[in-house]
Amino acid sequence: MIDFLKANQPVFDFFLLTLGFAYSQQIVLRCGVFSLASAAFAALGAYCCAILVVNLGLPPLMAIPLGAVLGGAAGYLVSVPLARLRGVYQAIATLALVEVVVAITLYAEPLTGGAVGFNNIPKHVGTVEIALAVAVVIYLLHALSISRIGRGFDALRQDEYVAASLGVSSRGQHTLAFIVSGLIGGLFGGLQSMYAYSVEPHQYGFSFMVTTLAAIILGGRRSLLGPVIGSAVVILLPEISRPLAEYRMVVVGVVMVLVVLYTPQGLGDTFLSWLSHRRASKQAPPPAKPLAADARTTKSKGDTYGRA
Amino acid sequence: MLAQQILNGLISGAIYALFALGFNLIFGVQKVLNLAHGAIFMSGAFIAYYAVEGGLPFWLALLIAMVVCGIASVLIDRFGFQKLRKYSQMDAEFGALVISIGIGQILTSMAQKLSQTKVLSFPFDTFPVEFFRGLGMRISLLQITIAAMVVVLVVFLALFLQRTTFGRQVRAVAINPRASALLGINARSVFMLTFFIAGAMAALAGVMIGLSFNSIQFMMGEPYMLKAFVVVVLGGLGNLGGAVAASLLLGVGQALCAAYLPPGLSDILIFTTLFVVLIFKPNGLFGGALAPAGVGRQ
Repeated sequence: MIDFLKANQPVFDFFLLTLGFAYSQQIVLRCGVFSLASAAFAALGAYCCAILVVNLGLPPLMAIPLGAVLGGAAGYLVSVPLARLRGVYQAIATLALVEVVVAITLYAEPLTGGAVGFNNIPKHVGTVEIALAVAVVIYLLHALSISRIGRGFDALRQDEYVAASLGVSSRGQHTLAFIVSGLIGGLFGGLQSMYAYSVEPHQYGFSFMVTTLAAIILGGRRSLLGPVIGSAVVILLPEISRPLAEYRMVVVGVVMVLVVLYTPQGLGDTFLSWLSHRRASKQAPPPAKPLAADARTTKSKGDTYGRA
Repeated sequence: MLAQQILNGLISGAIYALFALGFNLIFGVQKVLNLAHGAIFMSGAFIAYYAVEGGLPFWLALLIAMVVCGIASVLIDRFGFQKLRKYSQMDAEFGALVISIGIGQILTSMAQKLSQTKVLSFPFDTFPVEFFRGLGMRISLLQITIAAMVVVLVVFLALFLQRTTFGRQVRAVAINPRASALLGINARSVFMLTFFIAGAMAALAGVMIGLSFNSIQFMMGEPYMLKAFVVVVLGGLGNLGGAVAASLLLGVGQALCAAYLPPGLSDILIFTTLFVVLIFKPNGLFGGALAPAGVGRQ
């Protein structure tokens, strides 16, 4: 096990970074905001950190939190106009935002190095630091999700009008989710720039968005376990299927399609709801027939996110 | 110089329109963002290239590419998006995104394998190279053909949607699938038809792009996907006339940016415009107050 981890350490580090970005993506989806802006936050965090450390000589321990704060501030700013939009429109607006950030980093060559990327960043961050950051983020998100705020997020995702009628402020909660998403995105962007020696604009473009979004939808939008499973599938599957050589990306695509077709809630969330159903049926075994009927309805409807 | 730039912009805008119309048609009818559309577009160019290489005449290769891509689109719908209909709306919305991303990945990696990551181009004499000059402008036969083809296609599509029974069914399903099913419209055949049209138009756009830039490669779909988002939002999601106008606007804007602004600035301008339009006029530049909004959560 240890040998395996050592041999695959770069893959594992990359998995941890992707996990961080996936949490940044999940927190907005969790409260029903279809934002793809995590890529922009990550880019801001990464470039801010790299510029502070290389050009201004700040210690990384100060630069990384500043990168996170910049991400959070961007999250707040973005949330103000985006409060007017919902659903697919939010997705396209944030996609535009990500493209603007990529285009600006390409254009501002004196500061960011343009298309060549920002190179020669000293390496300050290893596996331990990234793992620590992931642990802290998971703990904070767990604390958030069992608090009143987390319940508010869940209510908003399931039905915004009902949540509003119960006294959940959709504006306030959406803003909060954007800020948290920005903080996490900026933090891991900063960590990535301190880890990888160089930062490059297209790293935080369309494919970044696709990867994190796929990780969340494969894993699940609700539980903290979801992103772990999703990122593992997205990052490790191409590595595991390496013997298939050039066909491995085909395999990844096929797995994505099949997972979504058969477990649209995501692997992690489906697994957790299966566990809790099992536990519930063990504690109080109801008569067999109603249970079967019940199981069927929950399977077809799941967590009724609908807007019906 | 200025007139020439505007002319070039109009031609590339016409190709954007071919790509974005299909994307927009699918959104209008099915309410899904089909991210595999770029891959279908790329596949069209690839199929036509290999058909021409195999010795077929160009027009036949183009026809084969359009039919194959149309059928591929229908299959994506039938075995992908349709399967998601039984889940709740939000699951289906997210699921459709990932499925189309997955299918796009399958198609692009197959194309990568096939072309061995090389940039392909059609043989030199696939399309006659001829130039016409006049009024201080220069236009090639290919550009004229593209413009004429787009005009004809858009007119046919508009007539089809407005005047034929099937077109009326398509519009009815776009407005309300359940009510139109109650009125006896077979939604499934409408979906199949729209996906076929969208796929065929994407293939046509792919071949035309491949011809006019003389390069075909497996990643060629991605920038056009991003442009399609711009076009679709500026014109209004689901609004086909708006999409055509927005495509031409984008083409001209891009040509002028490329000619008169420092390089790299045009993308910043384009995507900032997209963001600002979404915030202030989410129905698109041409959507009136009565246009179906769908901006808020229904």
